[in-house]
Amino acid sequence: MSTINPSRRARAVLASEWIKLRSLRSMRASLAVTAVFSVALAVLVCSNWAASWSGLSAAQRAQFDPTDTSLNNLQVVAVFFAALGALMVTNEYGNGLIRSTFAATPQRGRVLAAKAVLFGVGCLIAATVITVAAFAAGQSVLGSRAPHAGLGDPGVLGHVMGGALYLTLAGLFGLFLGAVARGTAVTVSALFGVFLVLPILVNSLPKDALWRHTVPYLPSNLGVGLWHTHGQFFVGPWQAAAWLAGYVAVIAVVSTVLLRGRDT
Amino acid sequence: MTAAGLRLRATAGSEWIKFRSVRSVPAALLATAVVVVVGGLLVTAGFRSGWSTMTASERATFDPTFQSLHGVELAQLFVGALGVLTVTGEYTSGLIRTTFAATPQRAQVLAVKGLILGGVVWVLCTVASFAAFFAGQVVLTAPARHASLGDPGVLRAVFGGGVYLLLIGLFGCGVGALLRRTAAALAALFGIVLVLPIAVALVPGVLGARLNEYLPSTAGMEFWTVVRTGGDALGAWPGLAVFALYVVATGVAALLLLRRRDV
Repeated sequence: MSTINPSRRARAVLASEWIKLRSLRSMRASLAVTAVFSVALAVLVCSNWAASWSGLSAAQRAQFDPTDTSLNNLQVVAVFFAALGALMVTNEYGNGLIRSTFAATPQRGRVLAAKAVLFGVGCLIAATVITVAAFAAGQSVLGSRAPHAGLGDPGVLGHVMGGALYLTLAGLFGLFLGAVARGTAVTVSALFGVFLVLPILVNSLPKDALWRHTVPYLPSNLGVGLWHTHGQFFVGPWQAAAWLAGYVAVIAVVSTVLLRGRDT
Repeated sequence: MTAAGLRLRATAGSEWIKFRSVRSVPAALLATAVVVVVGGLLVTAGFRSGWSTMTASERATFDPTFQSLHGVELAQLFVGALGVLTVTGEYTSGLIRTTFAATPQRAQVLAVKGLILGGVVWVLCTVASFAAFFAGQVVLTAPARHASLGDPGVLRAVFGGGVYLLLIGLFGCGVGALLRRTAAALAALFGIVLVLPIAVALVPGVLGARLNEYLPSTAGMEFWTVVRTGGDALGAWPGLAVFALYVVATGVAALLLLRRRDV
């Protein structure tokens, strides 16, 4: 028997992962819910700003930024992407398919890599569509009654794309964490803890030196650094992207090592 | 003993075996207790270290009880997931068919599940709340303000941490029984408890504040708050009542559906 050509194997793994990804009914539905949620929340938030604009004080108006206001739903949407990423892996453990997958492709690292590549690319496309749509919908609602921004304004496109990058990295964070924990309930709970609860606990603490050296480096706060234009306490966008990518890389390595040493 | 009494005892016995023999349950309970205490320590230590940088108004509205109990917010993830899994775990493994074949009184099964989970969670989380409160007050040394159990509202708030988590656990059971799938039920529960308050808080002005105070988790958190800063708050007991109403409504809906649906 001849040895299998590595590039053919890679193609086969990608193809089987692609079939699993696109045939998962809940994936499409969850993505649709996420998109609707993001755009609807952007419209709701922006329409309330527009409606109350004439009654706002000068100080409140100075605080307002149209880009941030249409994108601030991303702090919640990120956890949806992370949970979707987790389900990519934990679903397969839940229904036992993972045993067939690893029997067919004993190169487990490659299976995980294929999942990450396909999901990452899909996420980036979906996240770009969602952030641009939320931004555009928000700006059109702000319309003539309140200041609004366009994608061509300086820095705006960068923050919209920063938002999409954040969602994608959150998705990959969830995917690799799912490969570490393997259970849906554990992974999803942990992701909600990291992305939603932890910032609630620590963001309102007094901003002393200790705070400034730790709290801005939470994944959710790095995300804020990516899409927010006026982050006084947050890390700048390039640095935030690097840190987030670093976190994802660390969990990716840990999950790959664990995956190879563990029973399924 | 009557037949009904015997059946109840048998249901309670079998549900108890299922509860304690699932491997992840002790782990989740341990994590809950640890997170309540550690979360509270983290937050109170943060306030203690940054006390000198706080403004006078921030110091005046500082709530030492509430902040020492903040770990409850993290712990609700574990308790909620535990509540969901208590029900959906049986649907995943298919055991639910055996359970309902053995006890066709389905409502009784769900009620006993809720009682067992609720009892364990309430005892554990009340103990953890007291531990977190005392640990937090030790951390909050002068000049930071601290509270003692005798201060008005404090004892209620510390008990409130346990009561809130009990209700979250039962909420999880109810949502789990309604949706029957782990992922869907978890998403729904966390969506209601965690995502909605953040989403609503983004809406500026009166509308957001009004909506927010009647959300389950916001209302429930009133019960472990002592110092209220905003005007838009229901207060401790009305807040608890609103939260409990959501949980009871979910439970009733679950009981009704459970009797009509196929397993």
